[in-house]
Amino acid sequence: MTEQTPRLTLWWLLAAFALVVSPHLLRLPLGVSVLIGACILWRVFIFQGRISFPGTTLRMLIVFLSLPLTVLSYRGQGAGLDAAICLLILGTSFKLLEMRQARDMTIVLCLCYVLTMVGFIYSQTIPAALLALATVVVITGALITLQRNNGHSSLRSNGGLALRMVAQSIPLTIALFVLVPRVAPLWSMPIPVPSSKTGVTDEMSPGDISRLSRSAELAFRVSFDADTPSNEKLYWRGLVLDFFDGRVWRRAGSSFQSFDMIERFRSPFRGETLGEEVSYDVILEPTQQSWIYALQLAQFNASDIVQDRYYTLHTEKPVSQRYRYQVRSALDYHTDVSLSGVLRARAMQLPEDDNNVQARELASELRRGNPDDRDYALQVLRYFREQPFYYTLTPPPLGEASIDDFLFNSLQGFCEHYAGSFVYLMRAAGIPARVVVGYQGGEVNPFEGYTMVYQYNAHAWAEVWLENEGWVRFDPTAAVAPERISMGVQAVLANQPGFLEDSRFSMMRFRNTQWLNALRLRLDAMDYAWNRWVVSYDEDMQLDLLDSLLGPQMRGRLFLVLGVVIALFFLVAAIFLLRRREQESRDMATRLYLRLAADLADAGMKRGRGEGPQDFCQRLARQEPRYASDMGRITEIYVQVSYGPQTQTERHEQLLQELQLRIRDLRLRVLSPLRRLRLRMLPIRY
Amino acid sequence: MNPLNAVRPWFSSRMARWLENRLPAVNQIRLGRKNIFILPTASGFLFLGATVLIFVTAINYVLSLAFGLAFLMTSLFILCILYTFRNLQHLRLRGLGADPVFAGEDAAFVVSLEPQERQAHEMLELRFSDAAWSHADVEAGEPLRVRVFLPTQKRGELRAPRLLVQTRFPLGLWRAWSIVDLAMDCLVYPKPEPCKLPGYRGQGSSGSAESQQAGVEDFHGLRAYQSGDSLKQIAWKNLARGQGLTVKQFVDTLEDRWMLDWNMFPGLPSEQRLSRLCYWALRLSRQPVDYGLRLPGVELVPDRGDAHRQKVLRALALWQGGEA
Repeated sequence: MTEQTPRLTLWWLLAAFALVVSPHLLRLPLGVSVLIGACILWRVFIFQGRISFPGTTLRMLIVFLSLPLTVLSYRGQGAGLDAAICLLILGTSFKLLEMRQARDMTIVLCLCYVLTMVGFIYSQTIPAALLALATVVVITGALITLQRNNGHSSLRSNGGLALRMVAQSIPLTIALFVLVPRVAPLWSMPIPVPSSKTGVTDEMSPGDISRLSRSAELAFRVSFDADTPSNEKLYWRGLVLDFFDGRVWRRAGSSFQSFDMIERFRSPFRGETLGEEVSYDVILEPTQQSWIYALQLAQFNASDIVQDRYYTLHTEKPVSQRYRYQVRSALDYHTDVSLSGVLRARAMQLPEDDNNVQARELASELRRGNPDDRDYALQVLRYFREQPFYYTLTPPPLGEASIDDFLFNSLQGFCEHYAGSFVYLMRAAGIPARVVVGYQGGEVNPFEGYTMVYQYNAHAWAEVWLENEGWVRFDPTAAVAPERISMGVQAVLANQPGFLEDSRFSMMRFRNTQWLNALRLRLDAMDYAWNRWVVSYDEDMQLDLLDSLLGPQMRGRLFLVLGVVIALFFLVAAIFLLRRREQESRDMATRLYLRLAADLADAGMKRGRGEGPQDFCQRLARQEPRYASDMGRITEIYVQVSYGPQTQTERHEQLLQELQLRIRDLRLRVLSPLRRLRLRMLPIRY
Repeated sequence: MNPLNAVRPWFSSRMARWLENRLPAVNQIRLGRKNIFILPTASGFLFLGATVLIFVTAINYVLSLAFGLAFLMTSLFILCILYTFRNLQHLRLRGLGADPVFAGEDAAFVVSLEPQERQAHEMLELRFSDAAWSHADVEAGEPLRVRVFLPTQKRGELRAPRLLVQTRFPLGLWRAWSIVDLAMDCLVYPKPEPCKLPGYRGQGSSGSAESQQAGVEDFHGLRAYQSGDSLKQIAWKNLARGQGLTVKQFVDTLEDRWMLDWNMFPGLPSEQRLSRLCYWALRLSRQPVDYGLRLPGVELVPDRGDAHRQKVLRALALWQGGEA
């Protein structure tokens, strides 16, 4: 094996490396990306002989400079995975600059495989998987060029072989993916630093929710075990905001609403489920927040989810990867029929320096005619319905006294305006009430039957505490724009300026074009299936699948099954790859003879169809007497070798050698000068 | 010191015996399941290491696709066994022997690599134990002759040791090899040792540098230059003296029959005598003389020509002491 680096390998290797780092380039700090690009370019220049390999001093300098560069870039984000990955990529790029031998190249290529995996930490989508697959093919191609004589290497031959090998590996890959037992993490590692928080936040000020409606990004997907409930029942409850400072709604005592605190001070479940329950399965897109969404009143069996006293569900860590969970919800329920003092006080809180005078007056006026809490709430809804309120994405900005300004001045707002002022009017009348934020509605994918909930489905509504009933949901937006709830937000807002403004190129904007819309739904269905069956394939799914495939009695014999599958793959591949193709040496004579016959035919001495070698020879002797003696001997040997009795191997070999030489001589006489030259240049091979 | 050293001879003799049984010496052999061995290379272990790293990361971060990648690499690794194996399988090796060489030269054993009609064998590496590697790329259906070199040390019939044929194609993760004994021999002549031959006074018709040197004493006279005479024989000094273009003439003052005798070099070790005799046999074979050879127990009557030369050299190579 040559220890020099084969030249072709370098191109393959650089291509592989470029593919590996491409998904990281935008994410990495700019300085680092530039450094990586410089390393690749430098290596190309070394190859072209324009620059030499960097000396030891320079290499040391680069390494020592890049370390602080990385540390500085990731300062304040902790000694996280991001920084480690950045260093790994940088290290590999530096290795490019000191790679001289085949062994170094092998090391870099193995690092490339590892870096391919690193990409999955950030994205496990179908495109990411396809990119990774292409990368693996290129890395494998680079390994092949390393083993190949340059004369035999071509883009097609190397790429073809790599592609074939990877493709042939896929059946076993799938089997291993399904069968190899999934173990729990060996030790806990810090998860990637959150990049940016998306979706509903734990604060609500005017304009927050309407901002979300600019986005056509997916929030989560839900598949119901039975029928999907109708749109107006789909209130995906997120957070309860019960503290109002005159402008912004927040969570009261949010520092106590972490997973650990809730776990430690677990409060008794105060809900009471009535009637039927719906079961469903949610795949949440990463939010980098630690609460998740469900229909009220939610129950679950997962150990990594807790429910706080507001019935909000919390995860142990912020959701940084797509997260899948299963929930049962009773759509009829009573919660907090006896309300605790703390919660009651929080649900009655109003800002201390409250200057919404008109709103308070309106509250006391309406309250006067409706001493019953429920009647009062309905009266307020009626007020929203009867006054000329306008449901819009782009309301005018509100002044200092935001509630007054909205209720009596602008009368234009989005759901956060309605929910906020409704709760304010409740509290002003002495009724416990609070704001709930989450998502409302969703779009059913007709191909797979699951429900897609988008960021523009973000919504805010109210919960009012009523005697004997507990918390009851009121949605003032429904009073203003009933079709928002019954038909979905896109039906109402589609023509409003600002809707989906941030997703200018989203396919969502073309939902009126039939085939594009169908394509969008298809793609989403594919993505959903991918997530459900591949990305979130875990121990439970594995056991379920194996039980249904092999029966529960095979559970303990997984390794046996695994062994059998690997052996089977090996056997099938061996039969396919190692089968004997053709007879060897005896066919050699025929091949030589046919080659001669072809040359003779080119020279105008065509062998007739079905004409035997001996007949042909006799005819040729008559036709071209100058070839008679040569052809005679060739035919004699050929007939003896091909049809004669089995001779001794050594004798056979001698005959074959003679045949080859004689045929070569005759061909040299028959061929045109140009082709004769070519044949002369070919080595005598036997 | 090393406890392994004690075991090594025992082990290698066991190994040799085992190989002898499994792969006896044959003139030709087809590689297949019974005679191909296969093990991972250092690169293979590196690849496995990367796979394990990916697998562990997949477990820790619960990355389904990283599991997939680790499994894909495992499958590639397993599949590569078959590809590497296939690169040797069905290849027929045939030992074609080697042309005689002089001791100290490399014997070039010719091995014919004969593939099947549609099976190529890329990047084959062949060598004898520690000797130099030979490389071969065998095209499908195109037999190829490769020369594999083996240094020689002493004269005689050299039996080629086992030939190692190996390949790491296509990914370099596995090495498939076979060690076959192709029953090839190479005749090794004694290493020629230049010396003076008692009674030989040289002659100079060949025009070679050495003969000219030797022929200085045998200067006979001058004759006029004729076209076609060698430039080396022109008497330049005479030309300079203005005596015209003349050619030095050397006259063969020797007998044209020589008997190279064992006893020409008394007192020397027998190998050295053979080396000297070899030198003179070669030298005389280039002259238009007859020469014979007399060794204890061997007598070849003087003759000339290629066949005779080979006969003499062969006798020198194979002489086993005789009665002396």
